[in-house]
Amino acid sequence: MDELLSEFVAETQESLEALANVVVALEVDPSDRTLLDELFRFFHTVKGSCGFLNLPRFEKLSHAAEDVLSEIRAGDATPDSATISAVLAVMDRIAQLCEAVAIGESLPDGNDGQLIETLHHCYRMAGAVPEESTAEPAVVVDEETMASTQVERTGRGAATSRTIRLPLSLIDQLMNGVSDMVLARNELSRKLRTGDASPELETAFERLSACIADMRDTISKTRMQRVDRLFMAIPRMVRDLGRELGKSIELKLEGGDVEMDREMVEMVVDPLTHIVRNSIDHGIESPADRIAAGKPEVGTLKVSARQSGSQIVIEVADDGRGINIDAVAHKIVSAGIMTEQDVAKLSNAAKLELIFTAGLSTANQVTAVSGRGVGMDIVRANIERIGGIISLSNNPGNGLTITMRVPLTLTIIPGLLLNAGGLNFAIPRSAIVEILHDNNPTVSINRLAGALTATIRGVRYSMIDLETVIGLPFIERTGPRTLILVRSSSGNPYILGVSQVENHEELVIRPAAPMVMAAGIYAGMTLPDNGQPMLLLDAGGIAQTAQLPLVVDDIEAGEAAAQEEEARQYYTGLRLEELTGEQRVIRLSLVERVEDIALAAFGMTAGHTHAMIEGNLVPCLRSVDVNALKTQGVKEVTCLRLRDGVRELCYPVRSVIDIDEVPTELDLSVAYDVVAGVVLLNGVHIEVIDGFALFASAPDILEQAETARARCVIADAADSWNREILAPLLTQAGYQVAWGGSEGAVKAGDVVLVTSEPATEMVSGSQAAVIRLRNNSDPAEPDDPSIYRYDRVRLLEAISQAGQKRGVA
Amino acid sequence: MSNLYLFAHIADTAVAIRTDEVEAVVRLSELSPVPGVMGHVAGLSALRSRVLTIIDATAVITGIPHDTINSEAGEGYAIVCDISGHSYGILVDGVDDIRTVHNPPLPICGRVSDAWTPYADGVIEDEGLSYFIMSLSSFLDQSSVVQAA
Repeated sequence: MDELLSEFVAETQESLEALANVVVALEVDPSDRTLLDELFRFFHTVKGSCGFLNLPRFEKLSHAAEDVLSEIRAGDATPDSATISAVLAVMDRIAQLCEAVAIGESLPDGNDGQLIETLHHCYRMAGAVPEESTAEPAVVVDEETMASTQVERTGRGAATSRTIRLPLSLIDQLMNGVSDMVLARNELSRKLRTGDASPELETAFERLSACIADMRDTISKTRMQRVDRLFMAIPRMVRDLGRELGKSIELKLEGGDVEMDREMVEMVVDPLTHIVRNSIDHGIESPADRIAAGKPEVGTLKVSARQSGSQIVIEVADDGRGINIDAVAHKIVSAGIMTEQDVAKLSNAAKLELIFTAGLSTANQVTAVSGRGVGMDIVRANIERIGGIISLSNNPGNGLTITMRVPLTLTIIPGLLLNAGGLNFAIPRSAIVEILHDNNPTVSINRLAGALTATIRGVRYSMIDLETVIGLPFIERTGPRTLILVRSSSGNPYILGVSQVENHEELVIRPAAPMVMAAGIYAGMTLPDNGQPMLLLDAGGIAQTAQLPLVVDDIEAGEAAAQEEEARQYYTGLRLEELTGEQRVIRLSLVERVEDIALAAFGMTAGHTHAMIEGNLVPCLRSVDVNALKTQGVKEVTCLRLRDGVRELCYPVRSVIDIDEVPTELDLSVAYDVVAGVVLLNGVHIEVIDGFALFASAPDILEQAETARARCVIADAADSWNREILAPLLTQAGYQVAWGGSEGAVKAGDVVLVTSEPATEMVSGSQAAVIRLRNNSDPAEPDDPSIYRYDRVRLLEAISQAGQKRGVA
Repeated sequence: MSNLYLFAHIADTAVAIRTDEVEAVVRLSELSPVPGVMGHVAGLSALRSRVLTIIDATAVITGIPHDTINSEAGEGYAIVCDISGHSYGILVDGVDDIRTVHNPPLPICGRVSDAWTPYADGVIEDEGLSYFIMSLSSFLDQSSVVQAA
């Protein structure tokens, strides 16, 4: 409360200074209505503010002055100098009280009553005997008190925190200066990086950087304030007023974290206070009336703030009786502001506007709270002075919503830098709910007749790509696109697809030129640290430009399913994309590791694909079309290396997507081949790979792989056919090839291939299996066991069998 | 009103702009494009800590973007001005001179081509040559109207 109090004191003192001239001018020309109005407003504001600050003396004084001035205004009388003096005395007393409050002392409760007496007396005298001057007592009293306060003040130091008020233009200049400094620093930093700077120079530069950063922060802070501060006084005010008027009100405050220019906050406080007071006093009915009208006994007052484009929107909505347009029209006529005929010509909307007419009040009684006819005219004047707009949405019988739109002017917001179509943009971080990649398992994107819908964890959102909105081409790049879940001004979030989110930065937002704003998708522009101007996106504007329906439907079934899922059992599965494009899931525990294997390591044997991994041939479970991949420019294939404890398999995939919790429960009806069944993963059907079938599906390959460990000994190393044709064939089939004679004796278990007679002696007597090859396709004798040397299938079969025999033996 | 004029070329036409409106003439280097807006908004450019909205004067008048916009260097001269609180840079073909002209402005004689009609306020003669007198603020006001139409 201390902050509020000092604010009040500072404001009142400021107003008093400004009014000193007004009072003097009024004395010169007492018939000047505008001066009188200004004086009257001052007292009204003081009365309003001190009402909830619990300053009864201020309230009494200002109420009295307001009363007198109000009567003068209403009676169209000219105040005489005595009355004005008396009013001045009250003003002086208020000034003294201000001083006292500021230094935390209480002013001895002297003669407030006497002052008020004098004031009333003066006014009555003025009415009766206009020429008589009765100002003396007031002035005397005034001087006495002044003297006493001054004596007291000399004894005290200024204990409170000291503030000064600066013209904003000065802060603007400072701000610009710091921005320039930052840019100069960046340039210097670039220069330093290119040349070779000495460490001392760099240290000095670092210190300069830090200083500039600090200074920038501090100066930024001088301007910005959270709207919370604006809202701070409201709860107390609502409570106090509600109690005073015997109404029960539920207050809802929203958007307190919206940051607003300090100046703006100051400008909005008064209008907002007036509107809230009006709402409670005139809008919300007494509990009895509410029950009679069939409404809940407790009235609702909602005050919300949000940023929309280059504006801050502050809304005060109540569920009271709204504005009775006929009553307004009647008042206008009875106050003589317009004739009945003129009013009758107006549309309802125009009649509603009449509540902004000065000196109008629809309240039947003048209360201490409001109802003197100040309020709406001042509210509008204040809002318009800062370039804002005030609008009403009247729902007679059910409530009134007053919307104030005030410009954002110079604000600093935390922003996110993003990239779309090759350009950088900024978006206020406050507009962002969530950022995801489009390959996130919780996201699914559907396109229906051009309309994009993204479903995130069972909630569907409208989706639009930023490139589409701004008419830029999509830039090809690797990696996933980024989806930003954005809050739009209508309250319904939507998804904005962008190429990439780059960074986040505190951004100084400046208003953009009208022709830029005309696009409807920008909220302003900014100059980030790199010195490249950038546009700030307007989340609400994009939704409007893209004509997104902004419908949110929480799929209830989806939620129910999510709850059901929690009860189920899960195992960890690896989601992968097959070379053929399907998504499947495999138990993570089967996967030993994931490796990128060079395309050159893949080969085909007898219709099966092998991969050469760490010098061993590992069977592949999927065929890899080496040539097709090569033409696509693929150099490596991602492979899962599976192991069942003994055997190793290579499972080439296009990509590994993610690790998911997979429910153990399967839909087995669709099981085929290596697919064990289908599970529902984040609302998408995904096939589960059957680990057993996988290993079982390649037994022959595995055996071949085992026999491959047997050595093939080619007896005649000198024969060129053996060297150039047979040896490569065997190597390709995965056998180790040795040459007869050159590598010593033939060991037991080796398979010896004999193509010519002379080599026969070499193998005779050894335990090795011998396979003879012949040159002619037809056997020389009917029981010739030799194999035609180009009969590849029989040859490999024979080697394989020979190897098995060896295994058995 | 001073008689000091900035002489420049826009869409191959000689124009004179009162220096009251002109803050500076800068050589543009980098332009950040602004997608989704009217064609004559060439982009944004930083002038120290200020951000200029660059208006392509050639595009406003002829509807065809200025050569420099598409060129790699992207360099060109822009007249910097502050109009209703926003900083603009008006991209022109070239800037010739700043001179004081003592001759009073003259009404336009002859029929001005349609493209120029909205912008020409008058003519000023200096050293035997004629220049259109152009007001930057009305130029910007008009540009929105013309493009919107």
